[in-house]
This record gives sequence, structure tokens and C-alpha cells, in this order.
Amino acid sequence: MKKTSRREFVAAGAGAIALSVAIFRSAQGWLKDMGQLAGIGIERSLDGPLTPPAAADLDPVSHALNRMTFGPGPGDHARVSAMGVGAFIEEQFAPEKIDDSLCDRATARFGDIWTEPLGEQYDEDPEALPPALRRLTLLRAIYSERQLFEVMCEFWSDHFNIDPTKGDCCWTKPTDDAEVIRKHALGNFRELLRASALSPAMLWYLDGRANVKRSSEEKPNENYARELMELHTLGVHGGYTQHDVMEVARCLTGWTVLARNDDGFSGNLLSPMKDRGVAVFRPEAHDAGAKRVLGQEIPAGLGEGDLDRVIDIVVRHPSTARFIAHKLCMRFIADEPPAAAVDAVSAAFVANEGDIKSMLRALFATPEFAASAGVKFKRPFHFVVSALRATNASTSADRPVLSYLERMGHMPFRYPTPDGYPAAAVHWRATLLWRWKFALALASNRIDGTHIERFHLQRQIGSDSGMMATLLGRQARAEESDAYLKSGDGLALLLASPAFQRC
Amino acid sequence: MFNVGCRMSDVFHRVMNTQISMNPNRDDPCTLVVVFLRGAADGLTLVAPVGDDNYHKFRPRLAVRKKDAFMLDGFFGLHPNLSALEPAWKEGDLCIVHGVGGESDTRSHFEAQELMEHGGPAAGGWLGRFLRSRRQTASPLSAVALAPTLPELLSGAPAAAAFESLEEFSLGGRGRNEKVPAEFARELRRLYELEPDALRDAARNTFDAIARIEAIDRHAIPGNAAGYDEHDSFAQGLRQVAQLIQADVGLDAASVDLGGWDSHFTQKTLIEPLMLRLAKGLAAFRKDLGSRMATTTVVVMTEFGRRVAENSAFGTDHGRGSAMFVMGGGVRGGRIIGPWPGLTPEMLDGPGDLPVWNNYRNVIAPVLTRHGAPADLSKIFPDFAVKPLPLYS
Repeated sequence: MKKTSRREFVAAGAGAIALSVAIFRSAQGWLKDMGQLAGIGIERSLDGPLTPPAAADLDPVSHALNRMTFGPGPGDHARVSAMGVGAFIEEQFAPEKIDDSLCDRATARFGDIWTEPLGEQYDEDPEALPPALRRLTLLRAIYSERQLFEVMCEFWSDHFNIDPTKGDCCWTKPTDDAEVIRKHALGNFRELLRASALSPAMLWYLDGRANVKRSSEEKPNENYARELMELHTLGVHGGYTQHDVMEVARCLTGWTVLARNDDGFSGNLLSPMKDRGVAVFRPEAHDAGAKRVLGQEIPAGLGEGDLDRVIDIVVRHPSTARFIAHKLCMRFIADEPPAAAVDAVSAAFVANEGDIKSMLRALFATPEFAASAGVKFKRPFHFVVSALRATNASTSADRPVLSYLERMGHMPFRYPTPDGYPAAAVHWRATLLWRWKFALALASNRIDGTHIERFHLQRQIGSDSGMMATLLGRQARAEESDAYLKSGDGLALLLASPAFQRC
Repeated sequence: MFNVGCRMSDVFHRVMNTQISMNPNRDDPCTLVVVFLRGAADGLTLVAPVGDDNYHKFRPRLAVRKKDAFMLDGFFGLHPNLSALEPAWKEGDLCIVHGVGGESDTRSHFEAQELMEHGGPAAGGWLGRFLRSRRQTASPLSAVALAPTLPELLSGAPAAAAFESLEEFSLGGRGRNEKVPAEFARELRRLYELEPDALRDAARNTFDAIARIEAIDRHAIPGNAAGYDEHDSFAQGLRQVAQLIQADVGLDAASVDLGGWDSHFTQKTLIEPLMLRLAKGLAAFRKDLGSRMATTTVVVMTEFGRRVAENSAFGTDHGRGSAMFVMGGGVRGGRIIGPWPGLTPEMLDGPGDLPVWNNYRNVIAPVLTRHGAPADLSKIFPDFAVKPLPLYS
């Protein structure tokens, strides 16, 4: 059944109730209004066993929780210990089967804007959409039980980075998030790449929409073609040439997207709003000649079929398996991942034709993964979310929290260039001051819209040593307990401590 | 002339510092300060072509008179309210570029500011991309904006902070009940000292930066008895930037805004006080920093200029070209970079605007190079063939 869009709903809105709803919802500020209370008063239950980790070092359960989630909350260690890490991974691989009602409640107020047709999103206030997407992303990272899925959404959001401050991306990025990133985050890399290639936001961000060839003089725009190979698939040293970039650009000519302020092609008639923001292929702007990409012939006249040929060629190129494997290993193992692990993940990519779960399954099974506990430096987003989860905070994830991320240079969807936020620790070590300030402010409930019940939590867990182990994922070392007791604010101290910056 | 720039040798030195020294809050910093005049400042009043007869014909009531202006050469004169900039000009520390603007011809403040802050139809700010392009940032205070929120200009910068008071650069908050006990910092430092790797050094840098900020006496008399207006937020913003520079916290870039230039009506009453604030603030900043101006560059820019002909309301409407100032940092000043073909009606753009003879990116590009940008500026200004103006030669 066709979903009733807001505009249709408003248009059909006879009667006072429909009208008042329409007025409320169509007001410029409706997004803000309804988002105001998101997350407030919602916290994960402390009803289950809260047995803290007992080992002196990070055990496999803590290690898995550190890497596959945005950090454990109270009780997570006990739950995963009971089911076993293997079962936890399989559970996380089937996010659709995980009950996520808490997260649904926390994000419910954001309504259905993310599932609207793109043309309809053009009605939204451009100043409100990206902030709403940031909050939604933060709320999901904090509250969702589908943690590995959210972690992978973050990973692919960086891999296929789009900064919504360019052109129409402020309207089209939310749909990219839903239809490209989230739809395929644990799916197949080829499908993900194809969806990204045709994403209206990507067509804007990397100028694909302007990649046209209508006459012999017109030169294709190479921006997307280059990043497709340099950043999305083969990697910069993956073996493509400038000629390949030009040929890929030729293949993709004609794919475009109507701008929001499109003034139509026939006189002053505006094209219908529903047609805007949608990727379309325009044969008259396509270079129909034969091409040669990475040594493979693409015959003349395939038209829009060129796209799938290009996608197949780049996805099957051996450099792509290696590049994606390397990046995944950087995220999940170490900044400079061991070659054996990259080989294993790369082999899984090839054997399973880009199936993302197969790659992750192979990765988590490597001895290199097992041996890497606690060596990664959390990026600011991971740090902030892990602190909120560890303290069982209820939060609106609004400006007061996001401003810390802004100060740490890690605001979601605000990275300007297509390479996405960097993964390695070296880029993030200058953020310690803001992490410490966040820890102090969180521990003493000084962040507007965020609340923790630290004494209740402490009572439920039962002891200082249990509290410390819950936060650290292992028993505290002597110097940590000492500092915890002497610091004047033990909770803030542990959140600010070196161990909590790592995962 | 003291003409030490921030060329690669300095940057190299800085990189070496972060690797070999315990304290990368280096003593040879270079800082780029961007002053954005929001609302489209009238370049023809700031830097008036008083020697151009047509200027006086187009502006019978608003033109700056030759007898009032501080004459820069035989042709251009600064508005008298900018006369505080006289020493900088005479000492060769202030370069002016006229007929500057961007490619946006919508004459929309919003679009022109955004395009100019982004450096074209790109995502993020050019200053943010510049800071990212260097990647060796070690300071937690490498970029600041004296504003309630981060301007687009700095969007995408690593560790950029918007603040209105230096007090935010401490472990505690601003409120009275937000004091952090001394033992907290002590214990935290102790834990980080036990770290074997770069994390320990990062923590040392951070504690060092906090100490340097705390050591700033906010009520101290500025250097060289520079007089910042106590009640002027713009001057106080610049003063705090100067304090950060002098405290050696590793400040690479700062953004300070001065808004209110949209002078459609009674232009004089609107912008004359602003010009006074601009010039006095910049002059105090320069005096305060003294010899450190050699490694500090101030760039003053605006989104577009104003119509050459005045309107019936003693104001001017949205135009194209305006003026940009580059002060300090070893610029070869005392010069106006043109060209200036004259204000004949046929020279004007669209509805009668000063054309854009110089793209703003060609003014910024040599400054960024001076401040250690990579040789290839295409990541900072994508899709633009940069032709740097000769600011330094």
C-alpha cells in the first residue's frame, strides 16, 4: 500500500484535527519541536544481572564489546558472557531480529521524515535536517541494541562520506543514510557501492550530476570517477591510471539528479517536486562510445548499462578486496593492521563476492583480532557514546552533547572531504581536554538534556571495585583504584582515564 | 624589516618539535586570523578611490572627500575612521587588494558568505580544510572562533573550538559550582604519566596548554600599552586571540567576526562606527603583538561589496567587488593591488557594481602557503585554478 505522504495528508486535510496537525507539522520548527524530548527519560534497564568483569585484563567478552559496539553498558558483560561471544556475534549479524524498542522510543519523535520521498524532504528546513540526522545517529549509537549494525553504519558513513553542507546534500543526505548506508551496512559491498553511485546525495557531493557529455567539446566531470576508485574501491595505489578515471567518468555520464530549485526544461514550468532529488539517467547527456576500464572493454551503446559494468569491474578488482579488508582491519584491529588479518578478510571478500558479514566473521576469527585487546584509541564519537552507555545515561543527544563532538572535530556528517573522518589515533590525540571536560560534566550532571543516576548505578552494582570494573571492562589496576578514590570524582576520573580512551 | 615568515622551515621545525620534544607547544608559532565583515562591507568607503572623478559623481553624498581621507597614494584614501591603520600602512605591514569578491552573482548574503567560507561549491570551510591538510596538529587549541558557534569557515577543522571566553579552556566549567578539585588533575596526570606511548605526551601537551591559559592574566595591560576598547566585543575578541598567541598554546587559526555592514539606508551612521571599531581593534592587536606580527597574519574579508552608485536612502545596495586587507606575517605592505581601470559606467558589472577583478582565493592562497599549506592547494580550493597574488614579493 502506498504510504500517505505529508503533503498529500495536508492537502486532504479536511477537519480541525487534520488541519491542526498539518499546521504543527508543516511549521518550520516542527522538527525541532518534536525532537526536543527525544531520549529524555529513556535509559536501558538495570534489571538483569550486573556482574562486573572479573579478569585482570580485558577478557574476550570485554574485547568484543569494546570493538563491536560503541561500548558496553552495565550488564552487557554479564549478558554476553552467558551467551558466549560467538552467539553474540551471530545475534548482531541479524539486527532485524533484535528487539530494539528502547531505541525506537528514543528516536520515535523524529517521525517518518527519513522515509519520505526525496522531493518531499525538500520541504524541510535545510537548517534543521542535518542537525536532526546528527541527533538521530547519536541516539541510535547510544540506545540501539543493534550495536554492530550501528558501528558498521558509522564505518560506511565515513567510507562513503558526504558532507551535507554542499549544495542539495542537506536535503538528500538523510535519504542516503537510510537507503544506502543503513540498507546495506551488513549486506553486500557491491550493492552498497551501486546504491551509493546512484544516491542523489552522492551525485551532488561528488558532482556526478554535472558529469554530462552532450557535445564533442564537453568534458566529463571526473570527480566521482576518481573517488570511486581512489576512496571507495581500489585505493589510491590500487593500480588505476588517469586514463581509467576518464573512462569511468565517460561511463557514468548522463546520471544526474534534478536540483531542488530546478526551473524545469520546458519554459518556466517547474518540474513536479516529486521528480526532484531523484537520480535519473538522461541518454542525451551520455557518452555512448566504447570505453576501456582497467583493461576491460565496455562496448558502445550500453547506455545506462555502463554503470553496472563499471561497478562489476571495480568490485572484482583484487585491489578492492584488499583495500576494503585493510580498512575494516584498521577499524576493528589496529591502526596498522597485521598483514595476515588483512589477507584473511580480503580472501573472505573474494570468496563471498563482497558479502560484508562474511568479511567480519573472518576478521573476528583471526588471532590478530584476539590479540589486539585495548590497543585502539577511541575516536571522539566512540568515546562520548561509550561514556553515555557506561553510565546508563538518559540523553536528548542534543546540542549540549553534540557541541563536545564539535570541539573534538568529530561532529557526525560534518567532515568536508570525501575521505571521511580518519581512523588512526594520531589524528585524535589532541582531543583529550574536551574528553576530560566531557567526563567531568557528565559525572556531575552538568550537560543539559543528559542525566545519569550515578549513585543508583553504584548501589545496583554494589561496590567501588565493581563500578570500576564495569567502566573499564576489567578489574581496576592498583594505581587506577588509588586515583579513583583520591581524585574527588572517581567516576569522572575513570571516564577521563587513559584506559577509557582505548578500546 | 623583520620579515620572518611561516615557511616550510618553520613548519618542519614544528613537526620536529612534536616528535622530539616533550613540549610541542612550540615557541615559533604562526597564526592566521580571519576577520569576516558580515553583511557586505562597502569597499569604496573603506578604501576610497578619491582620485577617480566618477566615484564622486556616483556618490555625491556618500563619497569620502580627499581632504578627509588618509591618503594611501595619490589616488586611494582610507576613510578617516580607519586612520588607526596608518602606522601599519606606513611601516609596510598592511597590504590592500581592491575589487575582490567571489563568483556568486546572486548578491545574496547567505549564499555569498557560504560560498566564500566554503571556498567555492565545496563542503566544509577552507580554513578547516587547510588545518586538516597539515595533519600534524598537536595542539588542543589549534583553531578557535570567537563566536557562540563554529563558523562555516572552520567547519571540518580538527579540534576547533568556538568560545566567547578563555575561561572555557580549563578542566572546569564557567559556573561557580564547576570548579574541579586540584586532586582530580593531579590524579589524572599521574595515570597518564604511567602511559608508555604517545598518549602520555598528548596528555602532557594538554596539561601544559591548560597551565598556559591559566597563567594568562586577563586583566594584564596589553603589550606596548595597546588600547583595546573594554566595551567592544570585537576588540576583546582580538585581545583574547592575542593572549592565546602570546601564551604559546599552539594556535594555528582564529576567526573573529564583525557584523552589521549591510548599509542600504543611512550608510554613514551604520558603518562609520564599525570602521572605527575595525581599525582600532586591528591597530591594538598589532601593537599588542609587536614583533610577533611577523608570524601572525590577519586577513579581513567580506562576502561582497556594494553598488557603486548610492541609492535614494543615503545607502548603497548589494554589489560585487569589495576590498580585502592582509596585515602582518611578512606581507609586503604599503601597497594596493589592483588593477583599477576606473569607474566608467561601461566598466561596471551588472546593475552598476565594482567588478570582481581579484578572486578572494587568490588573496588567501599565498597566505595559506606562507602558513604551511601543501604546495597543491586543490584540496583546499577544489575546482579552482589558483593564481596567487604577489603579496610577499
